[in-house]
Amino acid sequence: MSEIIRTRDCTVHFKGDAYPVAISPAMIANGWPGCQGVMWDDSPVDEFRVTYSDGHYGGFLLWGSNESSDQWTAITGQQVKYGYGIICAGGWLISTSTYEKYTYFSRTHAVPLAPIVYIPGQRVVFSLRGYWTPEDEWTPSGSPVPNTYYLAYIVQEPRASNNFNLVLQTAI
Amino acid sequence: MPEIIRSRDVIVFFKGDSYTVAVSQAMVNGGWPGGQGVQWVDPPVGEDIRIVTYSRGLYGGFLVWGSDEQGDDFTALTRNQPHYRFATIFLGGSLISTSTYERYTYDSRTMGGPLVPIVYKVNDFLYFSLRGYWTNEDEVSKALLPYAPAFFTGVCAQVPKASNKFYLGIQTSL
Repeated sequence: MSEIIRTRDCTVHFKGDAYPVAISPAMIANGWPGCQGVMWDDSPVDEFRVTYSDGHYGGFLLWGSNESSDQWTAITGQQVKYGYGIICAGGWLISTSTYEKYTYFSRTHAVPLAPIVYIPGQRVVFSLRGYWTPEDEWTPSGSPVPNTYYLAYIVQEPRASNNFNLVLQTAI
Repeated sequence: MPEIIRSRDVIVFFKGDSYTVAVSQAMVNGGWPGGQGVQWVDPPVGEDIRIVTYSRGLYGGFLVWGSDEQGDDFTALTRNQPHYRFATIFLGGSLISTSTYERYTYDSRTMGGPLVPIVYKVNDFLYFSLRGYWTNEDEVSKALLPYAPAFFTGVCAQVPKASNKFYLGIQTSL
């Protein structure tokens, strides 16, 4: 049983930079988990807007659009309704459940799902859907350049004692 | 007409780190716009001060206020920075909007041909140009300078367009 209560998608142990941004129509339509990686999106109006990361970065969204902890509270559906999210950048120490559990190869080929082994000290980036992962998903997906960003490194691997959360020190 | 008033060279939406630094004699003489990229230089012998000068692709940060901005005319800040040889440097993570960026490609500015506009896209890597303006071109490598490549200093968060008064939106990473 984890001693630190982790009832949200993103538990903050140390806070970095955070500010509100507009979110894209795709995110409003489909929602997102807390700690979702996002990148900048071109908006037709004068606002700073983000959308799901495809490996590029702007930061990650602190709160999910429909987290169970927010049910029956004032924040229920609020971000989606008003089209905003709280983007986090800079240096944070976080625990999150929003990370890739299985390798890119096993998720995209008709083979058994192969768990990703997380190792403390590893560099992590955003996957093609904006989840944290140690894998460069650009190269196997045909991108001419590898994903060489350095967005965070692993402090704790997911395990029973941390409620299978991935603990990261971010550097965005 | 933008909804956000942009009456200065740099509009700050989220502030990172900032502190005051001395500016070089070249900057005192030549002035600078807000958003000017700067790099460190050695102080004169015997002086223990931190001095910056125009960036040549290297970085220290950017100066948040220009030396002669229209927004400062007829205020206490008029010519204050060049007179006292100081400026306020920004670094770390900021979210800004600035008019101090390269409009035309390095090749078209240096080769004598027609000027070719730079097309900025969101999430572009940004660097300081050889005169310290924000650009998505690595001018240090293009100019074959020995300290190539240019440092990565931010990403494009908003492209210049009529709705933002043709300012470039930047998430800085300094």
